[in-house]
Amino acid sequence: MKQFYGMSQRGNLDEALQGLSHPQLIMLLSNKEQFERHVAELEERFPGVPSIGCIGMCYQTGIVENGVGVIAFSDGVSAAANVLENASTMPVKYIQRMEQDLQAVGGSDRDTVCIDFCSGNDACVLTTIYTALRQRGISLVGGTGDQGCVSANGRIYQDAVAYALVHNQNGRVKTYKENIYHQLGNHRFIAAATDRTNYILGTLNGKSAKQVYKDILHVSDQEILTRTFKNPFGKINGDDTCIISIKDVRGSALACFRQVNDSDILILLELGDYRAIVQDTIRQICTDFPRRSAVFSVNCLFRYKLFSEQGYMQNYLRDMSALGNHAGFVGYGEHYNNRFVNQSMTCVVFE
Amino acid sequence: MLFGKKRPYSHPVQEEAKSLYPVLHVAGSLKDYQRELVKKEVASLWELSQVGASFSGVLEEGDQFQEKLQGLGATFSSISLAAEQFGQVRGEIAMAVSDARSQMEALGHTSVQVQQSYESMAETFANLEAAIKGIQITMGKIVSIADQTNILAINASIEAARAGAEGRGFSIVATQVKKLAEEIKELTGEVDSGVNDVQDRANELSQSIAESQQTLGQGTGIVTQAEESFGKITAAADGAVDVQDGITGVIGESQMELQTLCQFFDQIKQQYQKVVTHIRSASRLGTTKSAMFEDMDNMISQLPPLIRDLESDS
Repeated sequence: MKQFYGMSQRGNLDEALQGLSHPQLIMLLSNKEQFERHVAELEERFPGVPSIGCIGMCYQTGIVENGVGVIAFSDGVSAAANVLENASTMPVKYIQRMEQDLQAVGGSDRDTVCIDFCSGNDACVLTTIYTALRQRGISLVGGTGDQGCVSANGRIYQDAVAYALVHNQNGRVKTYKENIYHQLGNHRFIAAATDRTNYILGTLNGKSAKQVYKDILHVSDQEILTRTFKNPFGKINGDDTCIISIKDVRGSALACFRQVNDSDILILLELGDYRAIVQDTIRQICTDFPRRSAVFSVNCLFRYKLFSEQGYMQNYLRDMSALGNHAGFVGYGEHYNNRFVNQSMTCVVFE
Repeated sequence: MLFGKKRPYSHPVQEEAKSLYPVLHVAGSLKDYQRELVKKEVASLWELSQVGASFSGVLEEGDQFQEKLQGLGATFSSISLAAEQFGQVRGEIAMAVSDARSQMEALGHTSVQVQQSYESMAETFANLEAAIKGIQITMGKIVSIADQTNILAINASIEAARAGAEGRGFSIVATQVKKLAEEIKELTGEVDSGVNDVQDRANELSQSIAESQQTLGQGTGIVTQAEESFGKITAAADGAVDVQDGITGVIGESQMELQTLCQFFDQIKQQYQKVVTHIRSASRLGTTKSAMFEDMDNMISQLPPLIRDLESDS
């Protein structure tokens, strides 16, 4: 298979599409002013080609913050794109679409992946999608776009998740999740007084979540929101840790960027040696895939901000380019199988 | 509105036919979750049973540990006893050494006395020698007088023979002989006196020797006692070696006991590590169940809007 990446910092879709021919799946990353037009133009340029899109930044060797980017797969790929609507209330209503697409694309857990762009309410959507994917053991990688809308096959949807099923006909696929944080101290909390709809975390071990965070890190209310870059929460799920970013302070509680449930086990995280961790990920991918056709990744907006603050973003993209054809987009939350996580990087590698 | 305008595209817009399929899908997925939860519950219970089994093992090891501790206590009592014996032996040795020191001091004192006795003997012998010399001189004088008496007697004989009748000469000789006889008498007295003196000195010498013998006898006794003391010290030292051997043996036993205790702690540690592993597994299962509850909640929460949606079109 081949991965195409084209972009225009000025938001010129034609410029971004230069050199693209016979795509079998197109992913559009646009800006909020031009998204509708770009979706329509893309469909006109490549009618009938499965496509998904959202509003967000994209990257290959550099970041496109407010322009347009196109990532496309061709040669040796079969793909289907579609959408589940009513993401916040009943995405399961449309699950039969996905089951039919799975049937059409064929493939197995070894060679097929699902890539999704979601408009929000990700946890419910991911749970729903995964009920279909888990039957075939197919992994999922994706992220949340800006402005609460996504596109699929030339049409824009609000409150929906656009997905693409990609079957690599010439090799394997595998998904990865990179966590640049590790546990801070031995703190272990039982979450309670949560509001799953508004992502509110009320108490930790019976004490105000805000106060617990402040007491451990010695920060003021104002510092909490920026401190999440270095010290987010982690939700324990077996051997895995799902990162939860802090969005806001609500009285004595904390509002998060991800759903937290009563009885969830949380830990406090601290930033690790991200440069070394990135190198570890690259090494792992190279070990697993000596021959790589493409790498598609989703990086969290907070990671982008952190790396940019640290002057590492450009070096990060250069490091990742060592994998070969690497491209991706900056999400407002990352998806890995049935888990919605923050401040992470998820990616799929095609052999 | 930004996304309000819908345009016709190449892909057909799908309209979902109203059906209960989504509800069935939710039910099916919930059934899957239920099956998964049952598996996790079984695994959790197994982990809990393993925790229980591991703790039983810990308790059993604890009982054995108690026994071992009691054994170690007995061993320490033996060490204490051996130490007491060692103290006793040390006391005996100290006493024996003290005795030996006293004996040696007495021996030294006796030696001084012996030396004084011999000095006294030397003086006595010197006096005896002088007395003997006095006798010899006296005896010389006696010999001289005897010689003169002899000459006088010869002369008297000659005169008596020449004069015959004339007895005057004889009477002179007789007088002279008489004087000599007196002198001899006196000299004899002196000899007696000298002999007596010699006798006295001999007595003194005899006494000195007796004293020396007595002193030497005392010294010999002291030496004998000192030998006995040294024998006691040697015996006590031998006893100390025995006690030391005893202590070494007990310490060896203690070390073995301690080794056993260390092994016990290793076993306990292994048991606790097993417990920790099972608790972690149970905790891990618990957190995955929490994620599954979230998934189930996410699925169940879709049912009311789905049903309302179905009802609205029916």
